[in-house]
Amino acid sequence: MRAEIGKIIVGQTDLLELLLTAVLADGHVLLEGVPGVAKTLMAKLLARTLAVPFSRIQFTPDLMPADVLGTSIFRQNTGEFEFRRGPIFASVVLIDEINRAPAKTQSALFEVMEERTVTQDGTTYAMQEPFLVLATQNPVEQEGTYRLPEAQLDRFLFKLRVGYPTLAEEVQILQGHHAGFGGTSLDSVQPILSAADLGALRAQVRQQRAEPNILEYIAKLVGQTRAHKALYLGASPRASLALLNGAKALAALRGRDFVTPEDVQFLAPSVLRHRILLTPEREMEGGTPDEVVQQIVQSVEVPR
Amino acid sequence: MKTPRPLALLPFSWLRPAVLAVGLLATTGVAGAPPAQEPARALAPADTATRPLPADQATPLPARRPDAARLRELRGQRDFDYAEAVPHLSAWDLFWARLWQRVQNWLQQRSYTHFWRWVFYALFVAAGVFVVLKLLQVDLTGVFGRGPRRGPLAYDAAAEDIHAVDFTARLAEAEATGNFRLGVRLGYLQLLKQLADGGFIDWQPNKTNHAYLAELPAQGPLRADFREITRQFEYVWYGELGLTAGQYAHVRTGHRALAGQLAGGPAHRPA
Repeated sequence: MRAEIGKIIVGQTDLLELLLTAVLADGHVLLEGVPGVAKTLMAKLLARTLAVPFSRIQFTPDLMPADVLGTSIFRQNTGEFEFRRGPIFASVVLIDEINRAPAKTQSALFEVMEERTVTQDGTTYAMQEPFLVLATQNPVEQEGTYRLPEAQLDRFLFKLRVGYPTLAEEVQILQGHHAGFGGTSLDSVQPILSAADLGALRAQVRQQRAEPNILEYIAKLVGQTRAHKALYLGASPRASLALLNGAKALAALRGRDFVTPEDVQFLAPSVLRHRILLTPEREMEGGTPDEVVQQIVQSVEVPR
Repeated sequence: MKTPRPLALLPFSWLRPAVLAVGLLATTGVAGAPPAQEPARALAPADTATRPLPADQATPLPARRPDAARLRELRGQRDFDYAEAVPHLSAWDLFWARLWQRVQNWLQQRSYTHFWRWVFYALFVAAGVFVVLKLLQVDLTGVFGRGPRRGPLAYDAAAEDIHAVDFTARLAEAEATGNFRLGVRLGYLQLLKQLADGGFIDWQPNKTNHAYLAELPAQGPLRADFREITRQFEYVWYGELGLTAGQYAHVRTGHRALAGQLAGGPAHRPA
């Protein structure tokens, strides 16, 4: 999968590793970055490497929950209502510009992201496996955007920051473009994993070893977020589970059958940055969640 | 044309000298026309003679003297003690009394003549309070805003001091009980201690094994050997790998070889 995505995307190796980790850990991903850093392209490429149904939803301010989940329509010939499934009914769902829809529409994602079901008109519809939401948002633009509710942010396994490429990477992008490869043609990317393959890999990931000291290490890291003086709100136990599941998947990606503290440290910012709230004073001082997570990681002893 | 100002509307400071001046002029006859000639006032009639008062023949009244005992009794009563007792004020009470008196004076005054002076005083006091709080290291960040929801930590996040561990004794104990996994861990920690003592790594409890590996010099066998030993440790400790006595002896041989290498090698301080 790395090789396939690498055909189009230049650099971003850490980001790619984290995306694959999320796929293996069965978690949703929120990609945040300024326009033009290939957030949407990366999500589309990842979806393309999986041979599963894919759909894309462009979130707009006038989008309604029924536009996402689906709605019941009346069939005159049968005299009954029929549920028309919305675009959320796919295995990989790309939600572009997720923060452009109001909270009402975003709330429609709560049930489906956590419980993998959609309830409409008293009937609950189960999503097919795998079910992965890849969402993008732009952190800079404020006009016409809505901040995601904490409850929804908590449902994302990772919040990944898509940064600018390095000078060498940007030169490589320009060279490819200049040579006639626009960099956005997805035809060269082939599906690698079927739903069954992915299910088998996920089952293996769940069998990864995590020594008791590692579990305690994860609990300590997350626990520190509830005691840190710069944080108004700490991370929930769901964050601990996300850190553990992510670390197991990362360890598998790195060729091990056990989790090390290195895996946990690598994933801590991506798992915790969207699950903690800074105090207003810290925000006014210009502090960031990543800085606090870094402080916490540095304050807890690595188990060995 | 300028309208003459009514006398009643004149300010008092103007009015009083004017009235006095008019009065003075009236008495000295300077103001206005000379007074008409008045007839001389008649003195007492000639047949009037002063007569002495008759002698007082009244019996002198005896002066009444209040009873001395009654006076003493009344003097002792609190109701008749008209001297106001001045309460004894401490320096602190005196400070607050004067402060409040000044505040009252300030609030009661009808002009803002001293406004900026009081503003200056307020800023001065605030600066003093700020300095005192800073010196006392009082954290007031949550006083005016939402305070963080801090929960107590139910565990000890303190670091384990590898310099306080008696490795020889604990290794012997682990080997005697057949706990080879613990033996590998202790051997690895002992090597880390040696690396830190030798200045090869900067020991920090929050660093991972690979962070220490990156601190070792890229050239030479030290990094390669430590990488291999780290890999063994991670598989045994984090991977919960059970060891046989033979496997343990093999791992410990590697530990001793690296320890010997460290004992004979030059010190190196990581960047």
